[in-house]
Amino acid sequence: MTIIKTWYGEIELQNDEVVRSNVLKADAAEMAKRLQVEKFTSLDKRYRGQLREMAIQLRLVTSDRDYNSLIRDVSIKRAKEQISAAFAHPDARIAQLIGGIDDIDESINLLSERLLEWDILEFEKSESHGVTGNHVSESITYPALKNEFTESVSRLSELRKAIAGAIELEMRVIAPNLSSIAGGLLSARLIARAGGLESLAQMPASKIQVMGASKALFKHLQFGANPPKHGLIFQHPLIRGSPPSQRGKIARTMAAKLAIAARLDFYSKEVHPELLAQLEKRAREIHSSTIRSRT
Amino acid sequence: MIIRAHKVAGVFMLDSQLATIGEALYGEKVFGEYRLWDPQRSKLAALLKKEENVPLRPEQSVLYLGAASGTTVSHLADIVSLVYAVEFAPRVARDLVRLSERMHNVIPLVADVINPNYGHIVELVDFMYQDIAQPRQAEIAITNAEMFLQTGGYACIMIKARSVDVTAKPKSVFKREIKKLEESLEIMCVHELEPFYKAHAAVIARLV
Repeated sequence: MTIIKTWYGEIELQNDEVVRSNVLKADAAEMAKRLQVEKFTSLDKRYRGQLREMAIQLRLVTSDRDYNSLIRDVSIKRAKEQISAAFAHPDARIAQLIGGIDDIDESINLLSERLLEWDILEFEKSESHGVTGNHVSESITYPALKNEFTESVSRLSELRKAIAGAIELEMRVIAPNLSSIAGGLLSARLIARAGGLESLAQMPASKIQVMGASKALFKHLQFGANPPKHGLIFQHPLIRGSPPSQRGKIARTMAAKLAIAARLDFYSKEVHPELLAQLEKRAREIHSSTIRSRT
Repeated sequence: MIIRAHKVAGVFMLDSQLATIGEALYGEKVFGEYRLWDPQRSKLAALLKKEENVPLRPEQSVLYLGAASGTTVSHLADIVSLVYAVEFAPRVARDLVRLSERMHNVIPLVADVINPNYGHIVELVDFMYQDIAQPRQAEIAITNAEMFLQTGGYACIMIKARSVDVTAKPKSVFKREIKKLEESLEIMCVHELEPFYKAHAAVIARLV
């Protein structure tokens, strides 16, 4: 006797004949719910071949066409739930916020450049024509426009600050160890690039070390160029602030600590402030040993 | 314009352009009831342009692995009777669900093809189509074919060499992957998809 568990209910078989069954009502919402909450294992291949006939035999549906439309309704409902659950995940929110910061930075750069050119133009004109422009309309609208432009830029940098604050706050909750080592922004970037805290926690340290330097990495793998020392983690002050000869060593240690931190954050949520202390200690060692070897 | 039927029933050639019959779904060009099928956007279209003997028939049910937003799925659903479309990434699965709400014969599944957990939903199918950007493409195809493909059923596997190994030459990647496929499937034919796709090959195989 075998009991098989299908998307539309449980069926008990003896010598391939249905002896008992517990088939659901053809209600797409309830069936989708059951797919979500209950555990299923894969069917044996010969039962899979009978899924459709059994559903018709057990009067769940009356025709092939009915079967198709019911399984489609159920799958659409289930898929929608899965999709909205994925988007409600904090990782998705973090990635959005980080993306927002990058967009704002790009805009600020672009607008500031324009403003600078504007200033130069005005300066040149005042040199050659006196203080104001030639036309009345120009002298009224021009400074107002420019003010507006300047204000927009400063509003953007306010917005950037607000978003960065939100990221720091959220990161302290979802990844306390990571953010104690790398700060909220860099940690958020690592999570976004890895495709979530879970994938970051499953990465080897070596991958974290060069994440964000894929171009250099593949140049290394393909053409034998020097391997990259650091990817995203270059932004960390311990790396950026060190002489280039030490950056590789520090990046290696830092990536190892980040890998441990990501695993702690994802699997246990315990906070271990000693990780940062260990990293700083090692960075000091690297620093003094290179100085010693030089002398 | 000369319209002729492609060897695959349900597919048409409008001069040299591929098309299927149906409602326009993603902004493709339309001529009357025909929706043009761009070989630059769909590997299956690229294959059908190069090879007319693809074992697709109107009565078949298809398991489609790596459905993405459903561009190819929508044309395939014009040709066959039922498509189980599997996509893992929620972002693109959203488009796929939207598509399946408009096509009565597309069943969307948000699931991972590496560890198939749709074994209690998908029935045995006549045809399997795989287009995924994963390193272990041959293994994934074999697992799924053995679980879901009818004996004697066909599989069309798009091998993306760059996903298997970026550093190796595409030709040697194809060879390696085909060798792996041969352990469980009977290879019918192989086509590289140049000039439409670089470093891609389509393999048609049969489960015996």
